[in-house]
Amino acid sequence: MVEVEQLSHLEKHEAAGNDRVMFGFWVYLMTDLLMFSVLFAVYAVLHGNTNDGEAGRSLFKLPLALRETLLLLTSSFTCGLGMLAARRGNKSYTLMWFGITFVLGAMFLGLELTEFSSFFSEGHTLKSSAFLSSFFVLVGTHGLHITSGLLWMGVTMGYIMKRGLNKHMVRKLALLSLFWHFLDIVWIFIFTIVYLGAYA
Amino acid sequence: MSDKNLRSYVTGFALSLVFTLIPYYLVANHRVAGTKLLFTILSFAFVQLIVQLAFFLHLGRGPAPKWNLYFFAGTVGVIMIVVGGSIIIINNLHRNLSPADQTRRLVDSEGIYQVGGELTGACQGRHTNYQVIIKGTKTEPLLTVAAKCDTLTFIDNSASNLEIVFGTSKNPKVYAGLNSIAVIKGHSKTISLSQLGTYQFHDNTNPKIVGSFAVADTY
Repeated sequence: MVEVEQLSHLEKHEAAGNDRVMFGFWVYLMTDLLMFSVLFAVYAVLHGNTNDGEAGRSLFKLPLALRETLLLLTSSFTCGLGMLAARRGNKSYTLMWFGITFVLGAMFLGLELTEFSSFFSEGHTLKSSAFLSSFFVLVGTHGLHITSGLLWMGVTMGYIMKRGLNKHMVRKLALLSLFWHFLDIVWIFIFTIVYLGAYA
Repeated sequence: MSDKNLRSYVTGFALSLVFTLIPYYLVANHRVAGTKLLFTILSFAFVQLIVQLAFFLHLGRGPAPKWNLYFFAGTVGVIMIVVGGSIIIINNLHRNLSPADQTRRLVDSEGIYQVGGELTGACQGRHTNYQVIIKGTKTEPLLTVAAKCDTLTFIDNSASNLEIVFGTSKNPKVYAGLNSIAVIKGHSKTISLSQLGTYQFHDNTNPKIVGSFAVADTY
């Protein structure tokens, strides 16, 4: 009886620790959100200064931006499914869903890099205009976040494969999925303001 | 428990898809334009933000007190101050400090041919004025041929205000430092043809309204 009570106390303690970790990570995400919002403000201010070069309207390809959006949105969804599997303790499903998330994220990154390299090869670089500087910095910062998210996902999946799905891994996955959903939300605003907004 | 969570993710995904595809459809098919478009797509983005916060991040669910929700609300407040404030301040500076392209526009439209003893290259003296009358979706004449420094007046006899953009809607161009000119219904606006070349123009809201002008160097 005493033992059970102690155990539940221990579990409570652990749950509180988990909450603290989640909240700490949430605070980090909010500061990251602040950084993105400043980059958005810079883009909003500078997007018209094209230095007589091409504006976003003639530069951006909407179908490509839509494909990127759908990839990231689907990856956010599969990431959530992976999290559900992890909470159930189902290792193979967890690995499968996060594997799909990883592939979708990598495809997104591939599309973004293709877009950037086609801009660069046409001579639209960071140096071309204030508009392009702010564009590359805003979208590139998001791309860097995606890259680090993919690295984190790869490493965590490796750990799970090797050491199994223990509760520490579930907590790591919970933080990772928070990060991944957050990046999808930031992308919605990049898609709306940068790509769709260029046609306003 | 798990079933409820699964349903939450599926609902969030479906709603997000809808709120992504609708604004994309509106923009790709030119259903709306200008400020109305910006307002519409931003509204969809905010709705999708709320959808994802609720269905993917489960913000606000879970045990009380909801510190992460409060912290999020605080961050949103800071973001509104930083982003809104920056946009207001910088737009104000942009309008009042007259950067190079606006100075150029002023020099062209006012015919200031000399500043501080230096020639600006702007047109001076009186030149021929050409008129383009836009009635309904018809442009009269479709093509205006003029010499450098002549003036071109856009007269809006259509049913709505016009936003004349140079180039085609797929490939917009800048003419003499102008991205676009706004003409109020029933009024006119005159530009100085200080830049050589042939240019197409169209209305931003109604791409059916098209026309062009050619400026030749005949001195």
